[in-house]
Order: sequence, then structure tokens, then C-alpha cells
Amino acid sequence: MTTGTMPEARTGAPGGLRSALLRLVSNRAMRSLARAMAVGIGVMVVSFFLVRIIPGDPVQILLGDLATPELIAHYREMLGLNGTMLQQFATYVGRLLRGDLGTSVITGQRVSSVVARTMPISVWLIGVTIVMALVLALPLGVVAALYRRTRFGQLFRIVTSVLLATPVFFSGLLLLLFFAIRLGWAPVAGYTSRFPANLKYLWLPALTMCCVQVPILARVLQSSIADTMEQEFVETAVVRGLSWPVFTWRYLLRPSLAPTISLLGYVIGQLLGATVMVEIVFNIPGLGTALIVEGVLQRDYTLVQSIVLIFGLIVVGVSYVADTVSAWLDPRTRTQ
Amino acid sequence: MAFLRTLNSEARWGLGLLALILFLGIIVPLLSPYGSVDFIATPLSPPSLAHPFGTDQLGRDVFTRTFEATRLDILLALAGVSAPLLVGTLLGGLFGTTRASVLSTLWMMLIDAINAFPFIVLVIAIVAAVGTGVQGLLIALAATNWARYAKIARARALTLREADFIHAAYILGYSPVRVLIRHVLPNVYSETLAYGLSDFVLVIITIAGMSFLGVGVHPPAPEWGAMMADGRLFLRGQPWLTVFPGLILSLTAIGVALLAQGVMSVVRGEE
Repeated sequence: MTTGTMPEARTGAPGGLRSALLRLVSNRAMRSLARAMAVGIGVMVVSFFLVRIIPGDPVQILLGDLATPELIAHYREMLGLNGTMLQQFATYVGRLLRGDLGTSVITGQRVSSVVARTMPISVWLIGVTIVMALVLALPLGVVAALYRRTRFGQLFRIVTSVLLATPVFFSGLLLLLFFAIRLGWAPVAGYTSRFPANLKYLWLPALTMCCVQVPILARVLQSSIADTMEQEFVETAVVRGLSWPVFTWRYLLRPSLAPTISLLGYVIGQLLGATVMVEIVFNIPGLGTALIVEGVLQRDYTLVQSIVLIFGLIVVGVSYVADTVSAWLDPRTRTQ
Repeated sequence: MAFLRTLNSEARWGLGLLALILFLGIIVPLLSPYGSVDFIATPLSPPSLAHPFGTDQLGRDVFTRTFEATRLDILLALAGVSAPLLVGTLLGGLFGTTRASVLSTLWMMLIDAINAFPFIVLVIAIVAAVGTGVQGLLIALAATNWARYAKIARARALTLREADFIHAAYILGYSPVRVLIRHVLPNVYSETLAYGLSDFVLVIITIAGMSFLGVGVHPPAPEWGAMMADGRLFLRGQPWLTVFPGLILSLTAIGVALLAQGVMSVVRGEE
């Protein structure tokens, strides 16, 4: 063990504290868990400071002329602004660990009830998007890798860069204009929470998000398949004359999936950001709409703070799971 | 000109597109007979020769407004990229070179935490706290985006730390500050500058997106996202209010993206 960590300490790549931690948790799984928890704490710190960077006194801003000493004290308590900074942070984390996201300073509702109402809708939207994106990106990535030196490869590169640079709210409005208003294939706005019926409302927003997700996934898949194709075992498989489906799945796709899966944390971050825009464009009452309409526009600081925290924690959690799964899928990354 | 020849055809297309939009952005507001906030014709009239992009619900010329917006959007995006680029690279270079490990570990935690949030969501949250409008938007962009540059700069500085010319500089007895400024940072900047070009796409989309959500640039000022938010109410009958500003915004973003891709492949020495 000591011999393993010595060169690291000398080159100093991870500093003193970090290398001490590394020696403690030499296990890769433990290490990535510790890292995820550290980032999770950082995410809480950032969201904690969101209410504290408000210029002036947030309570005064909220109450205006209505301010009485009792009301001020009550609102300070609700925003968690009593005591020293460290005490405030301890209270904040303590509340979060008990699952208490706080109370809305505008409506007096529990923030957790707003989240419980809106989050399933956003999860549905993201779920449908992921399924749709995989269905479109997998074949596209394989074909783009196989034909990357042809006209098709060039076209693929140009079309993906164009789609990646198109703002999601613009492509959403264009799709809305074409499919919902001109063709009438989808409702213009609204949502129903019953299962098969909600797909009617979700397919167009999901397609909008695919305009960005499919190019990302297909490109990563293309380049990782292209790397796989350089490997000797692929040549061997070609020489053995395996059937096309067996060759594609076992020799091209499966070894190439790990980079795509380890990208899942990034993809989820992108998706969560895009949901905010897409929910507003399609009037879907999800978490993103709650963030903008009930939170930012109403100056509901606790609601904004909690929703942002949830977004951050989801990304941290998914990145951790994605790391673990891709390590399990591809044993080569485990020994690093 | 020599630089132009090193670019691939996609990058040249991108540059051409960008030059055209910038040219129109300068020339149209100068030559247009209409002011960008003046009532000049029947509201909501469709595109015609006099008004190539039609008029909006207040009878303003959409063509003039769209190209007037070019200046504001591009300047905002430049500010939104350059401040975080400078600060982030400096901080990242510092944390990559310093041996004060406890401090740099804590900073890395902060950087990772900021990067963990979906970019636009954190920008929205900071704007909600510090206030909407141009000022709030720029503060929010700077406060979130520096972390991305710091991450890239730190990674680059860490690999540079082992480079022979850095060792040589130390052996020559140069002070750590001089090594950082004269030898580490110039090399780090070349990396973050290349990233900055593709980051420009993200930033300009975010700026327009924030205005589209109603938490960025405030309406009468011509801005692509704000114009699209206004036009959205008339999408069914008067789609030109939304489509034209959106199109010019997308073309700008696409132009920069194509250029960025070309520059990246030149920097990496491909093809």
C-alpha cells in the first residue's frame, strides 16, 4: 500500500489532505462515494448562500411597509437567518437531513408539498426524453461511426453542431408551431397526470429536448465506437465472420457503452436545465415551471433555494450512480 | 489570412455566417428609417417589402429590432464570457500551482459544487437573489461560469507543473509568482481561450433564454429572447414575431459553434 502511494505523494498531484484521505479510502467505490458526498455538501453550501447574497435585507424586501418587529422575527426564522453564519448553516443542514425543505415565504405552503406536486411531472418528462433519446441516438451513433469517413459522416457532424447550438426554447417553439398548431398532432399546452394520456402531452416536449440530447449521445457513442473499432478483438470478430447483430452488439456496442453511461451525470444536468425552458414553452406544470412562476417571479426565496438544491443533488446522485455502473460494466476502468 | 487557410470548411462557413450577422447588426440600425422602439406601422402586419420581418403587437419594425438586438446580445455574451475567463483561469492556475493543499481542496469542492448544478438553473437562482436586468444577469453569469474555467485551468496547470520548462524556471531561481505569471498562465490561457469560444454559444443562449423567461433583459430594449417571449403570445397567428429573432439568435450561435469546432481541431492539430 505504502509503495503505491509514495510516488503520488512525491509528485504531489493530490495534496497532503487529499492523499491522506486517499490512503484512508484506497477502495475505489469508497473513494467515489466520499467524493460524491463532498460535492453534495458543497452543493448545500452553495444553495445555503443563495439567500444570503441578496443585497440588503431579504425580510425587508419581502415585507416592505408591512414590517412589524414580530413579522420580521417570524420571517427571519422562516428564512433561517437567526444566529451566526455557522449556526445558520447547521440549522439548514439539520432541517434538510430531516427532509424539511422549509416553508414558502409567500404562500405559507410547505415547499415539500410543492415539490411533491410538480416533481413527478418533470420526472415523467425526463424519463420519456431519455427513452426517446436512446432509441434515436443508438442507431445513429452506430451508423455514424461505421460511415464516418463518408458524406454521411460529414453531414452527421454538421447537423449535430447545428442542433447543439440551437436554443432549446427556439426549437421547442418551432416544433410547437409545426406539430401542434399547423398539423394539430399534439395539444398546444397543458398536462394530465393519468398515465397513457399524459404521453400525448409529453412527446413533443420530449422531442424538443432530444434536439440537444440526441446529438450529444450520438457523438459520444460515435467516437467511442470509433475507438473500439481500432481494437484487435474487433478485427478478429470480422475475420471470424460473425453475424451482423452479434457483431454489432457484442463487439461494437457493449464495449463502447461505458463512456456513454459515465456521461449520464452530465446528461441529467443538461436535461434538468432544458426542462425549465421546455416546461415554460409547453406550459407543463413541472418543477421548472414552479421554479420560475412560483419562485423567481414571486420572489419566493425558500422555494427557489430548495428547487435549486434538488436539481444540484440529483446531478450529484446520478453522476455517482453512473460512475459506479460504468465501472461495473467496463472492468478496465476499475483498476485505475 | 494564413489563419483562415488553416481552418476547415465548416469553420469558414461559421466565420462567414458570423461576419454577415455582425455586418447586418451594424448596418441595419444605421440605415433603417425606423427606430427600434418607435410605433411605425399597423401592429401585427405580416412580412412585406417595407417590413421584411413584419411588425409586432406595438407596431414596431421587427427587422430593425432583430438586428438592433445583435449588438446587445453579442456584447452581453462577450462580457459574460470574458470576465469568468479571466478570473477563472487565474484562480485555476493558482490552485494548480500552489502547494497549499487544504485551501485548494476546499476550493475544488466549491468549484465542483458550482459545476454540479445545471448551468441555467444556478444562473436563474442567482438572478432571483440579486435582481433581474442586465446587471443581475452579468453578476449571475460571472458567479457561476468562472468555476468551469477554473476547473480546466487547474487541470492544465497540474500537468504543466511537471513540465521541464517550469522546472527550469524554478532552478533558475525565479520566484513562484513570476513562474505563475510568465510561464504557467500563458500556457493555461491558450487552453481556456479555446474553450471560451465554445462557451460563448452556451452563454449567448443562456442570456436569451433568461430574457425569454422574463428574468433577463427587460422589454422595451430589443433583445432576442425578450422579443421571442413577447411574440410567443401571437405564435398561432403571427409566428414571424418569434421565428425571426429566434432564427438570427440560432444562426449566431451556430456560426460561433462551427468556428469554435474548427479552431479546436486546429489547436489540437487534427486534419
